[in-house]
Amino acid sequence: MRSEYISNPEEARDYLSRYKLFYYFVFFTLTIFVLRLVWLQVISGRELRQFSEKNRVKQNKIAAPRGLILDRDGRALVENLPGFEAIISPQYIDDIKKMSAEIGPVIGLDADKVADRIQKSKRVNGPFTNIRLKDNLSREEVFRLKRLRMDVPGLEIRESIVRHYPLKENGAQVFGYVGEISKKELEKLNAKYLNDNLILEQGDIVGKSGLEEFLEKKIRGADGQSFIQVDAHGRETVTKIPNIYGEQIKDLEPIHGHSATLTIDKDIQNAAYESFTKLNRIGSLVAMKPNGEILAWVNAPSFDPNDFATEISSKTWGKLINDPFKPLRNKAIQDHFSPGSTFKPFVALAALQDKVITDKTVLYAPGKFFFGNRWYHNHNKNGEGYITVYDAIERSSNVFMFQLGIKLGVDKMYNYISLLGLGSKTGIEMDREVSGRLPNSKWKLAATGEEWQPGEDLSTAIGQGFVTVSPIQMAIAYNTIATEGKVVKPFIVKKVTDHEGKILFERFPTEVRDITLPQPNGYKIDPETFKIVKEAMRRVANGAHGTARGLRIPGVEMAGKTGTAQVMSFSADQIYSSCEARPIHMRHHGWYVAWAPWDKPEITVAALAQHSCHGNPGAAPIVRDVIEAYFKKHHPEMIAQGLKIGIKHVTEKLKPSDGE
Amino acid sequence: MIVSERNFLNRLDIRLIALVFALNVAGFINLYSATHGPHSEGVASLFLQQIVWLTGGWTLFFIMTFVDYMWVNRLVWVIYILNVLALVYTDLHGKVVLGGQRWIDLHFFRYQPSETMKLAIILLLSKILIHKNPQGRGMGIREILIPALLVLVPLVLTVKQPDLGTGLLLALIGGTLLFFVKIQKNIIIFLVIVGAIAIPTTWKFVMKDYQKNRILTFISPDSDPQGKGYNSIQSKIAVGSGQFLGKGFQQGTQSQLEFLPERHTDFIFSVLSEEWGFIGSFVVILTFVFLFFICFEIASRARDKNGALLVVGVTAYLFWHMFVNVGMVIGLLPIVGVPLPLLSYGGSGMLTTMLGLGIVSSVAYRRHLF
Repeated sequence: MRSEYISNPEEARDYLSRYKLFYYFVFFTLTIFVLRLVWLQVISGRELRQFSEKNRVKQNKIAAPRGLILDRDGRALVENLPGFEAIISPQYIDDIKKMSAEIGPVIGLDADKVADRIQKSKRVNGPFTNIRLKDNLSREEVFRLKRLRMDVPGLEIRESIVRHYPLKENGAQVFGYVGEISKKELEKLNAKYLNDNLILEQGDIVGKSGLEEFLEKKIRGADGQSFIQVDAHGRETVTKIPNIYGEQIKDLEPIHGHSATLTIDKDIQNAAYESFTKLNRIGSLVAMKPNGEILAWVNAPSFDPNDFATEISSKTWGKLINDPFKPLRNKAIQDHFSPGSTFKPFVALAALQDKVITDKTVLYAPGKFFFGNRWYHNHNKNGEGYITVYDAIERSSNVFMFQLGIKLGVDKMYNYISLLGLGSKTGIEMDREVSGRLPNSKWKLAATGEEWQPGEDLSTAIGQGFVTVSPIQMAIAYNTIATEGKVVKPFIVKKVTDHEGKILFERFPTEVRDITLPQPNGYKIDPETFKIVKEAMRRVANGAHGTARGLRIPGVEMAGKTGTAQVMSFSADQIYSSCEARPIHMRHHGWYVAWAPWDKPEITVAALAQHSCHGNPGAAPIVRDVIEAYFKKHHPEMIAQGLKIGIKHVTEKLKPSDGE
Repeated sequence: MIVSERNFLNRLDIRLIALVFALNVAGFINLYSATHGPHSEGVASLFLQQIVWLTGGWTLFFIMTFVDYMWVNRLVWVIYILNVLALVYTDLHGKVVLGGQRWIDLHFFRYQPSETMKLAIILLLSKILIHKNPQGRGMGIREILIPALLVLVPLVLTVKQPDLGTGLLLALIGGTLLFFVKIQKNIIIFLVIVGAIAIPTTWKFVMKDYQKNRILTFISPDSDPQGKGYNSIQSKIAVGSGQFLGKGFQQGTQSQLEFLPERHTDFIFSVLSEEWGFIGSFVVILTFVFLFFICFEIASRARDKNGALLVVGVTAYLFWHMFVNVGMVIGLLPIVGVPLPLLSYGGSGMLTTMLGLGIVSSVAYRRHLF
């Protein structure tokens, strides 16, 4: 043992001077730490407490149930069903590949695709934006996902609302469909609703077409907010910890969207679509009350909007997009076609009103007609002989109309016919309506730089050439004839009511103009003129030679006009022996526009049967079915009476050329 | 000896024992909370293990109290060399946990040699340094060389594991002892210059990416809140959100819901700050400061230089741990894996700390001899 180890307090005193520095340094450290704690806990405490609250309290949007869309009798056309959806919060995922491999097979999605989607969303929207992996989960999927959830941080199964369209394909373009908002729409819609206190976010479900889109603001409601406590891995965790407000935050309940009641009658709508499917027709139909209330609105072929409410597969989507017959289009307002012979009553109105002819005037209508330097053909090669305007419309004589066309000239035709609303939008409240085209010489010069040719008067007079119309315009124009001069504005949304049934908005029939009175352009059409044409059109449906005579509803007399719109020029006739021999996309469109009863109109129906070759039997049976459905529902006594006096419900087979 | 036995209780430094015990109590309340959250099934058993370690720790404390540190002194070289060998073994065959090769698996216990190395250095330097600086003018280069080398060897071995935190603490403890004995001013100036050159060099050639990231993150934690800066940000949120009075026992959302990483070890002080607020944090830091002051007082009344140096060494050990750990938790220092003595969970740390405090107690026990 060395001497140093022996107690030697004197020696240890060498160090005494050194402690001071150490005391200072410890005290200095204490001061710094305490100041820092004051800064963090006292000065920034409130702010950092909020950060910690944000960490643990996760806000989830509770999507508001969209309002219902009902028919005129309050029956659901679009409704909501409860469902479940799988949501992923990318911020909590450690290993996207692994997670996707676990979840993918459970919900029937390809694991790689799931991973791609999460990665893409993470890149584009950041890790805090939730991704809806799949909605409308089956019971089995929910069960299996729930078992997985504890092992997959960030996975959530939420209750959701699935939009349901009980009519399926029927009226799909009108009612529309819903889907997750796209990045492009997000910008557009937020700009649109800037002043409506409506802010849309990623992942929101919005109306994508039809009324769902048009009524978005009214029917979407206000989303609620739920607050759940989660741990660092995003798992919901129940503790007794109160929040900064002293109690668990209350959920913000969503506000139910307003419901829209339409003018549509589900029964008529069903009858119309069934007729299209039964006859296997492509086209469009609008049925309307004389005051402008739309009763049925059908486009075919169609799609099932329920497919969109859940995840639509790219295969289904591609098929819809590439279908040459455009199932997604609302053809009744978005497309316009040659009216063909359905234009003839308008020409007759103009000629009669302009005193070019009277109802007694007899003109010679042979099978072909030479004008300028060429022949113009009648579809009936034998011609109709010496006929009046009644016969001309009943039998759809081209040559008779050629002569009226020559006598009137395009500008006079324009001045009269535009009164009926052709060439301008009907003003229906839905988006993307087209105005069609009603030509005059001024228009042609402006549009093509060429003078109007006299020969074009002839093609215009039979509804070919430049003139095009949309089905809804035809319904309005024929309705004007039926009501003897009243041009109405069509509408489909009758009223919007809130959750308690209070009416927030109601639309009433609007008469745009009464054309029996002189209009701004100085033209009018007298009731007597209408009466002549109406009688002629009654004969179309009921006369011995009527092009739609084969279609009867016992007890109800229709009036209308058939028509054929050329898809290809008639020269194609020289290649194909008949219209039916052509490839389907080259066949002519058939029109039939009619109202009933012919003297006291209650319903006007315009139907276009694309590529069906003839107005009858292409479009006319559909119109008959719709009108019959209407009278069966509202006036069964008329049908009973009709049957009693022996009128048979028949569909006569006509020769094709008779049904132009 | 008869006198000493009669005065047994008087000779024990009750203040030291009381302060350590107070920190133990605070530590247990806090550790219970940190290990009994809604998702803490995996760590709940650690609380019971810590009771075992603490029981062992207090046993060592009292054994050391009654053993004259003079006897320990004889074994110092053996302890040091064995410890260095254990470090070498660890570097070669140690168990890798969380990216660091720091443990030797003894089956019943995972031994971390770098932890006991801190104590071995205190013991060895205390023995050597009593001969240094006889004139009181401060040590020159020649006097410093050997002790510095003795610190450097385990330091390099530790940093290689890699365990930057422990390496840093070895340097700080050794440096404090050298500084305490007094170093010539020009050497200190020289060291500052060397440091200015060595730091960028170390950055470039020695440090691993994760170590660099920790420092980068410290400088700017918000640059990557989900990644590298996560720990730092969440810890600051935990501390600050405790506000003045705290959220209450077991009610710290940051810790209970696992937003705080490593909450039972390196970030135990965040749990305390969150649940007990400024008051709790202040009381615990103040208790530590009282403990240091009492240690300094014990050192100044030691019977010899060796006793004084031992106490200063152990105090430096406690102080630097607290300094680095709390500094990191409250966002004043970069994230370095250093536990908080007496509060963090950990067997090696608890035993080493109590052993060191036992030496302090031993020095205090013998102060009456002069």
